Amino acid sequence: MMNAAIQTNIARLQIMKAKVLAALRKGENYELKTELNSEYKERRKEAVRRVIANMTVGKDVSGLFTDVLKNMHTDDLEIKKLIYLYLINYAKTQPDLVILAINTFVKDAEDSNPLIRALAIRTMGCLHVQEVLDYLCDPLRKCLKDSNPYVRKTAVMCVAKVYDLNAEVAEENGFIDSVRESLSDSNTMVVSNAVSTLVEMNDMAPNQDIWKLDPGMVGKLLTAINECIEWGQIAILETLVEYAPRDEKEAENICERVLPRLQHANGSVVLTTVRLLLKYEKYVRRADLLSQFSKKMVPPLITLLSSEPEIQYVALRNINIILQRHPTLLSKEIRVFFCRYNDPIYVKYEKLDVLVRICSERNVEPLLNELKEYAKEVDVDFVSRAVQAISRLAIRYESAAEKAVKVLQELLQTKINHIIQNAMVAFQEVLRRYPNRFDSVVEGLCEYIDEVDEPDARAALFWIVGEYSEHVANVSNILTSSLESFLEEKDECVQLALVSASVKFFLKSPQKGQSLVLKALQTATEKCANPDVRDRAYIYWRLLSADPNAARSVVLIDKPPIELDDADLSPQLLEELVNELGCVSSVLQKPAKLFVYKLAEKAGVPRDSDATGMGLEEADSAVAGGSGGSTSGIDTTNEGEPELLISF
Amino acid sequence: MGNWFSSIFQGILGGDKDVRILILGLDGAGKTTILYRMQIGEVVSTIPTIGFNVETVSYKNIKFQVWDLGGQTSIRPYWRCYYANTDAVIYVVDSCDRDRIGTSRDELASMLSEDELRQSVLLVFANKQDMKGAMSAAEVSEALGLPRLKNRQWGIYKTSALKGEGLSEGLDWLVNAIQRK
Repeated sequence: MMNAAIQTNIARLQIMKAKVLAALRKGENYELKTELNSEYKERRKEAVRRVIANMTVGKDVSGLFTDVLKNMHTDDLEIKKLIYLYLINYAKTQPDLVILAINTFVKDAEDSNPLIRALAIRTMGCLHVQEVLDYLCDPLRKCLKDSNPYVRKTAVMCVAKVYDLNAEVAEENGFIDSVRESLSDSNTMVVSNAVSTLVEMNDMAPNQDIWKLDPGMVGKLLTAINECIEWGQIAILETLVEYAPRDEKEAENICERVLPRLQHANGSVVLTTVRLLLKYEKYVRRADLLSQFSKKMVPPLITLLSSEPEIQYVALRNINIILQRHPTLLSKEIRVFFCRYNDPIYVKYEKLDVLVRICSERNVEPLLNELKEYAKEVDVDFVSRAVQAISRLAIRYESAAEKAVKVLQELLQTKINHIIQNAMVAFQEVLRRYPNRFDSVVEGLCEYIDEVDEPDARAALFWIVGEYSEHVANVSNILTSSLESFLEEKDECVQLALVSASVKFFLKSPQKGQSLVLKALQTATEKCANPDVRDRAYIYWRLLSADPNAARSVVLIDKPPIELDDADLSPQLLEELVNELGCVSSVLQKPAKLFVYKLAEKAGVPRDSDATGMGLEEADSAVAGGSGGSTSGIDTTNEGEPELLISF
Repeated sequence: MGNWFSSIFQGILGGDKDVRILILGLDGAGKTTILYRMQIGEVVSTIPTIGFNVETVSYKNIKFQVWDLGGQTSIRPYWRCYYANTDAVIYVVDSCDRDRIGTSRDELASMLSEDELRQSVLLVFANKQDMKGAMSAAEVSEALGLPRLKNRQWGIYKTSALKGEGLSEGLDWLVNAIQRK
């Protein structure tokens, strides 16, 4: 008796083991499928949780669609929400099966709990599936007239989704009219959602004729804005930005009524308000008002810089744009932008950029001292940008040149390799900007010849040696020994600079330089593999052999002064970006039509033809590169070649 | 001995194990009305079920989890998704719809041929008996080919969901049939 019982139990265990193994072989989804169909409520609930967990980490659980669906009819709000999430995610992959969910949606849209009504109507819209559309209209119509504002505001949003899916259906069912009526709703959340819905539909509509803000409505919106949550405030502000006031009085009124928004804790509200104020500058004429607006903008922008680094970054990118419109806006606040040691590197880069931008003649001295400290930090990239900033300031403010040179000299004395490289390039730029003003430092620079090993820096040093050969005692030694290793130079720019320097030296002191220049040209033309270097050497050679005096007038003429290109963004681009202040485009500093394809279609920017798109992007990044601190004007003129090219 | 063990475990683990019932049938047969008649004892106004309803119905201390699936042609193919673990099927027929009784028979036949429903009990409701010209239970039974079914416990009851007639008799039979299984 006992034995038989044990044997049956062993047999059972073996069957169970086989089942577990089979389940393992079929994978987790098979197990989940069984669990979702379990007779026990708790196990089904747990299974739904696991499915959603898998979905969020990116595992494909779309095969469980019907099994998950079966559980959506539940009183458990948590499970309902999770299943709705699942549906939103996978509805597009299983449009046929979605109809199985419709009955539950329709019932939920009439639930006694407003949260469930809103959830159902929102989810039905989010599914974004044509098959659902027919069944969505009736519940949506009811929800638009719901007694609960939360349901109404959700339903209003849903109209935009319907419109996106099928504009005709939205129109025929009178949904658009309902949204227009919702603008006069007693609840501000409904009003602000109606505004964003109308704006969004307007953007989608071919003629943008869904809705036009009229003066009567402006007053209502301005009242509503004070009670909205931040999303609503942003929606209303954005609508007002697009609005064209009838007269100056109205513009002033609008500006004054949105001013309190500047004190909002949300960065986006602040930036959108700034956007509105900048946009309205062209409508408001009274200078006292304008300066008052500007003054009011400053503190909130500064406040944004004490929030977390990510917000700081966004704020800085936007400040960068604002400053191009109002260069002096933040001049008094320069200290706020000084980098803290624990700022993330991306914030430091942006701060550096803003610092150079807002610096004025008055505060350039303390800034140079600050930059000197930055140049001693550990991050190589940051150091390089800091040193570049020094040379940019020196180029912009003549009065600061002296101080900048001093700072650069101090930096050289640190004997830290990467600082020396950057400082050498900076020196070249300063010397190029102020010819013959800092002759005395040149001799000192040549002492660093052995430490200078980066191609850019070496080229810079050779340019200096060539230009200032009369101020350097042992030019011929330097050049001769450098020519020894001519073929080992890593970059052609060094070789080009070396050839040019030899020629300049020869033209300035023919006796001392004769053998040197011969050697340089010979090496370059006979042994060098690089065609550019060879060509340049040939050109010099011909020029020298044809007429040394002509050569002198070509090579040693005064160079055109270099200028910083401070207006980084073209006026048109700036205008567009000011209009998109606080948006992603302001962070990328690229107008939205370049990366939002619906806008691109409207603006006629071809999306598929990469050539044009790339072209635009490249043009843009070149502009952005300018803001990064590279003084592009110098790169092309710093070797005295353009003159040569012109003469041929 | 083994049974004794397993019944104890069942008692501990599966506190609220439900009896799972599907209500199937062509569109407009009265499935949703029957479901809510069973659940709340009232006639509710219904719209065509696109998808499904599921409710828990207590009858004679047994909890039924009753699934009412939409009967439209487009949804019928998805009935199969709901077959797993089904204890019983209630198949509802509109007794006045003589034109489509053939379709109803075909759907029933293809459903019963599914492996997952091999163990399920079949209860047929010849519904809408309150209307004139309704087929009798015997007629419906014949038209559906019930007498020729093999290896299947089945029963047929004439009902009127609107009047609430015949439903409890049918459920009594169902409870017995399930317990006998």
